[in-house]
Formats: sequence, C-alpha cells, structure tokens
Amino acid sequence: MYEEPYKWVEAVGNRRQYLDEQFKQGSPVVAVAYETGILLLTVSKGTPKLYEIYDRLALGGMGHPADLEKLRFSLLEMAHVEGFNRSPSDVTGGRMVKYGIAPVIKQAFEEVFKAPFIVKILLAELGQKAGKDAFLTINYDGTFEEGTHCAVLAASPAVEQEMVTYLRQPPTEGWSLEQAIGAAVRAWAVGDRAQRRMSEDVRENQESKADPTRARDEKNDAAALYSHLRETVAEKTIECALLDRQQGGFSKYRALTSDELGRLLPRDMKASLT
Amino acid sequence: MQGDFFQLLKEQGYQFGVPAAAGSEVDIPNATTILAFKYRDGVLVAGDRRATAGNTVMYDRTDKVLEIDRHSVMAIAGVPATAYEMARILEHSFKYYRRTQLQELSFEGKLRALSKLLKENVAAALAGTGAVAPIFAGYDLEQGAAKTYFYDILGAEFEGVEYAVSGSGSPTIRGILHYLNTWGEQPLSEMQEEQAAIQALRLLTSAAEFDSATGGVNREANLYPVIKFITASGVRTMPDTQLKPLFEMKVARHV
Repeated sequence: MYEEPYKWVEAVGNRRQYLDEQFKQGSPVVAVAYETGILLLTVSKGTPKLYEIYDRLALGGMGHPADLEKLRFSLLEMAHVEGFNRSPSDVTGGRMVKYGIAPVIKQAFEEVFKAPFIVKILLAELGQKAGKDAFLTINYDGTFEEGTHCAVLAASPAVEQEMVTYLRQPPTEGWSLEQAIGAAVRAWAVGDRAQRRMSEDVRENQESKADPTRARDEKNDAAALYSHLRETVAEKTIECALLDRQQGGFSKYRALTSDELGRLLPRDMKASLT
Repeated sequence: MQGDFFQLLKEQGYQFGVPAAAGSEVDIPNATTILAFKYRDGVLVAGDRRATAGNTVMYDRTDKVLEIDRHSVMAIAGVPATAYEMARILEHSFKYYRRTQLQELSFEGKLRALSKLLKENVAAALAGTGAVAPIFAGYDLEQGAAKTYFYDILGAEFEGVEYAVSGSGSPTIRGILHYLNTWGEQPLSEMQEEQAAIQALRLLTSAAEFDSATGGVNREANLYPVIKFITASGVRTMPDTQLKPLFEMKVARHV
C-alpha cells in the first residue's frame, strides 16, 4: 500500500497530523538558565516528566509516558556506558542527541508500518562555567535544535516561539533561582494558555464562527498569567528540578521538594493557589 | 531486572577479573594501611598514601579512600589497577541504579554489589594479579546509622561493628584499636570529629612505624594521609590545612 513514493509521503504527512493531535493536551516544559545553574519546570498530573540522565544532564519530556520511559532508558544506558568507558566529561548533550536518540526517533517516525514515538524531548546540559550551558530539544520526527539560555517544549512550534519570546523579554542572564522560577512558571502559563486557545480556535473554526481578533486580546501580564495558573494548576503538581553548579559531588541534578518550591514560587501566585 | 549497570557492561562485551598468565613474576603494587571506625557523628575512613611494588616505593600520593557516592566510601588495599576499576564500576552502578529506578540503592544492595565484583575477581586474585581486600563504609540513610564493612579477597563481607582495618599495616593498628576502644578514655563511638581525626593520624603513623609498605606523614613534602568523614549530610574530606596543625599539635612528638 505504501510502495509508491507519493503514498509514503502522504503516510508521513498523516502521521504528522496524528502526532500533532497527541500533544494538544500535553503540559509544556520550560528550561532556563539562572545564576548558578539550570532550572527545569513543568506541571504534571501524576507521572513525572523531569528526570536525571547523567552528572550534568537533565531531561524534560512531553508525550506518552511509556515512550518517554523507553527513550529515557536508552539515554541512561548510553550515558553511563560512555561515562564509564571514556570519562564523564565525554558524556555531552550534543553527542547523546545527535548520535544517540535523534536518529532512533527519526527512524521510528518514518517507518510508517510501525508506531512512532509520541514524545518531544528537552535535554539540558550544565556547562562547567556559567554561559556554557546547552539546551537541546528533539521533536517527534527526530529534528533537533540547540540553544543557549533557555528552551521549551510545547504542542506546536508557534506556541514554543511565544513562550521563548516571553522568556527572553527581560534579559535572562544572571537571574536568581527565585526570579527564574517566577519566569518559568509564567512562561508555562503562556504556553498552556496558547495551547488551549489553539484547540478552541479549531473548534470554533469547525463551527465557522472564527474570530481571529479575539485571541490577540489576551495579555501576557503577570496578573493574567497567575489567574490562568490559579485555574489550571489546582489539581496538578508543579514539578521543578535543578542542575546546580554549586551542588557538591559529581551529580548536579536535584529535584526541588514541595516545601522548597512553596518558598520560591512568586508570592502573588502562592496566594492564589492556597 | 533493570537497573543493573554491571550486567549492562557485560552485555556490551566488557570483561572483568580476567587473570593474567599464572607464574609471571612481577612485583605488583599492593601494600597499604586503611582503616575505618565509627565516631560520634558517623564514620571516619582513613588511608596512607604509599603504593609499593616489592621493595620499591611506586608512588607517595595515592588516594586510597575513594568517594563512591554522597554517602559511601570505599577504601582500597591490594592491587590498585583492579581496585580503581572496582571503584569506577561501583560509582557508575549506584548512579545508574538511582537514575533508572528513581530511588537510591539500599545500603545492603551497595554491599552486595561490591561483594559480587570481588567474587567475579576471584580467579585474578588467586593468580596473584588482582587481589583486593577493601573496606566499605557509609551512612545508611534508611536506618540513620553509620556502617563499616571489610572484605576478604574472595568477596566475603564482614561487618566491623566498631572498626574495620585492611592492608599490610593493619595487624599493627588492629591491636591499638581494640585497646583504645576498650580501655581508652572514651570509646571510639563517643569521640568528636577532631578527636577521631587525631586518633586516625596516630594510628597511621604507628602503622608506618612497623610496616615499610605504609607511608607515614612527610611534613617537608606537605604529605598527609587521606581522612574522610561520612555523616548524614554526606562525605567530607579533611583538608591538609586542618591536618597539618592537628599533626603538629597532637601527633608529632616534641622533644
């Protein structure tokens, strides 16, 4: 059925559509550099979405938990075997992504007879010095991007762009942990709101009552974002992990406890959550 | 079962504990003194810094007290090449277990891991090219208690209720430890950190006195033993800047 090339292209196109649909309800992931490290943040419902991969590598994911788990294990295997056979400093995010899982994800995506991975992955790598951090994201088709200072995962490239623009509005360098958490949680709200808007637009389009001006009225000011968070976060947990240069020992990853997070979240938002 | 790093290595073709040809007469570095004892806040692990091969001093700045993770330390006596390899495998095994299983490997699990490595290494140990008799000490967070264990070269594990020693210099200090703990001013387990460090320095100095393969303190070269403390808050190394005055005041004999 797919022997003819154009049918294959069509099948891959359908697959793209199918996958895009899968991420619409997903929770965005935000990673941003602060003064002494990198902060990762998402809002999860039960299953965690942030993980430790290696001494200086952390993973954030969107998508199907079983797929995420499978790729997490292959990253862990790769990183530890490499770190043992060569040295921990040879385990870099770039190598893990480019030669490790990106080709695997791409292959699964294009093998139209098999199931693709329903995942988007973000890999944050803590540099030896501030400003040397690396942020990598991989899409469900295996395309990856590399950035500095911050990276996000969301349902569509447009939403991701909106979140990154929001994160970059003030200069992101030299943030304290508290500032970074505030910005990350607001950026998450920007993304989540954009995703909801996207699905509503689709629904309205179907009912042919689309109003393109409505969406643009929403403001990205803190108060509006906190009120969005108030509505959405209530029954979920804010998940937050750090790669902190100041942490003793080789492993720099640490998940923030709910107590710590309670202290560090912006005050305006805490009032709204309790 | 998932989360076993050593198994993963073997699947990838890694070989461990393969004996070299028997009967080859090489001087392999292997003598040492290492010790561990429980004090008030946790457990102290110390080791001299000399590596010898036969009559030759190979190296005088060896670190034989190796931090495996935040709460455990392995001190090594025996063939360094094998011992360092074991430490590297353990370090990666514990990390790998924690990261895959999303929980810390239990203290017992850690002890078993070392025991398993020693067992895999028996052939090399008996051939004379890979004997290792380590001490494993750490803080068991689940039970809230410090623990010390020592191993023979075949992988049997013994708990040192109060203290554990290993290496060629250990017979000397084993007696001293027993005496100190039984008839000293206070039992080892009640000593404060500084007092414990002083005793460790004195013990290693005594071992060096009677065992040519144990290195003592060399003040001219600014060379002091390695002393690490493991408490509920993790592993900490005593810096030379603290060891030096302690040695001058409490250990060196002033005539």
